[in-house]
Amino acid sequence: MSAHATPQRRFGFWRWVWLGLMILGGVLAWYVGGIWKAVPPAVVLPAEPAWPGLYLAPGLPFTNTMLSVLVASLLLFALTVIPVQVYVRSGREVPSGLYQLVEMAVEFFWNTTQSAAGKWARRIFPFTMTIFLYVLIVNLFKLVPIHETIGYTKIAHGNIQGYATVVVGGVHLLDGSRPYDAAAHAAEEGAAHGEESEYWHSPEPCENCEIVPTFRGAATDLNFTASLALITMLMVQVFGVWALGPGYFTKFINLRTIISKPFFGLMDFIVGLLELISEIAKILSFSLRLFGVIFAGTLLLSIVSTLSFGGVQPTVFFVPGLLVGLELFVGIIQAYVFSTLALTFMSQATVSHHGDEHSEAH
Amino acid sequence: MEFNELFRETMIQVARYLGAGLAVIGVAGAGAGIGIVVGGAVQAMARNPDYTPTIQTNMILGIAFAEAVAIYALAVALIILFV
Repeated sequence: MSAHATPQRRFGFWRWVWLGLMILGGVLAWYVGGIWKAVPPAVVLPAEPAWPGLYLAPGLPFTNTMLSVLVASLLLFALTVIPVQVYVRSGREVPSGLYQLVEMAVEFFWNTTQSAAGKWARRIFPFTMTIFLYVLIVNLFKLVPIHETIGYTKIAHGNIQGYATVVVGGVHLLDGSRPYDAAAHAAEEGAAHGEESEYWHSPEPCENCEIVPTFRGAATDLNFTASLALITMLMVQVFGVWALGPGYFTKFINLRTIISKPFFGLMDFIVGLLELISEIAKILSFSLRLFGVIFAGTLLLSIVSTLSFGGVQPTVFFVPGLLVGLELFVGIIQAYVFSTLALTFMSQATVSHHGDEHSEAH
Repeated sequence: MEFNELFRETMIQVARYLGAGLAVIGVAGAGAGIGIVVGGAVQAMARNPDYTPTIQTNMILGIAFAEAVAIYALAVALIILFV
C-alpha cells in the first residue's frame, strides 16, 4: 500500500457507540427521569471551597477554581515539556506528534511578536506565549465533563433550587424529577432559618440538596482573570521603564512643556492623566472580558442542557454538543485575544512618543 | 411568611429580572460595532489579499475591543441576577 492511498470510506465502530450512548442518554432523561434527568447546576458567582473544611488559612478557602487551575497547570506541563524532552532526547530529524503542535504554536507566536515588537520581541515573547498557553489550557480544561458535575452535597437555601438525592453505594445522586418545593415547606424553613449553608454529611438521602462542584472552570472566577490582568499591566510598566528609563513616567505626569508653552503644556498634562486612567481601565477590561465570556459560556451550556418544558427536556442531548464546539472556539479566541492585547500594550510601552511630538509641533 | 414580606421579595425579584434585561440592551451596540469592523476588514482583504495576516490580527483586536463593551453589559446582568 502506497503512502498516498485513496481515502477509504470508513464506517467506524466507536462513533456509533458514542451516538448510541447520546441517544440512550436522551431517552433516559425523557422517559425514565429520576437520576437520569439533567439537573441545572446551582449558579453562584464567587468560587466555593473545593471540599468542606479545606482551608489554606482561616477565612481563605482552597476553592474549586484553584483546584482546576492546579490540575490544568500540571496538564500544560505534561503536554508541552514532556513531548519536547522526548523529541530532543530521541535525536530524530523529523518532528512528529505533540512536539509538532507545540513547535507550530511557538513559531506562529514568535512571528506575530516579531512583527509587532521588533527588537524587543526576545524579551516580550516568553510572557505573551505563557499567557496564551495558560489561558488556553485553562479554557479547554473547563470543558472536561468533571467540571460542575462532581462535588459534595450541601443543603440548598436562598434562591437555589434544591433536589432530593438518591444514595447509590454511598454516593449521593441528585434526583431531577423530585425538586424541593420551597413554598410548601415555607413554615418549617422560617423556624430553621438560622442554620444556613450546612453540609450534608450523613449517608441518609437528602430532601433539599444542591451539589457544590469540586472542579470549576478557572476563568469563571474573577480572582483568576483579575490577577492575570494585574500581572500583565504591571509587566507593561516594567517593559516601559526598561526601554525608556524613568522618562517613561512622563507619559502619565507630563510636565515637560508646561513652563515653555503654558496652554498646550496644560493640555499635555491632562492628556497624561487620561492615559493614567486608561491604564487602569485596561486592567478592568482585561479581567472582565475573559471572566464574562467564560462565565456566560458556562451558564449557556448549563441552561441549554437542562431546558425543561413541562418535565420534558428536548435539548438534553445533541444541542449541548454543538455548544461545546462553540465554547471550544471561544476559549481559543479569548486566549489569543488576551495574549495579543498584552503583546500590543507591551510593544506600545517600549516606544517613545516623544520624538513624534517634536515633529508634529512645527 | 407574611404577605408584606412576600410582596417585597417578589418585587425585588421582578426588579432584578427587569434590570438584567435592560442591562443586556447594551449588547446591541457592540453587535453593530463588530459588524462594521468585520465589514471593513473583509473589504480591505478583498482589495489586497497580501495583507490578510496583518488585517486579520487588527480585525480580531478591534472585535475584542468592541466585544468588551458587550461583556461589561453581560457582567452587569450576571451580577444583578446571581449576587
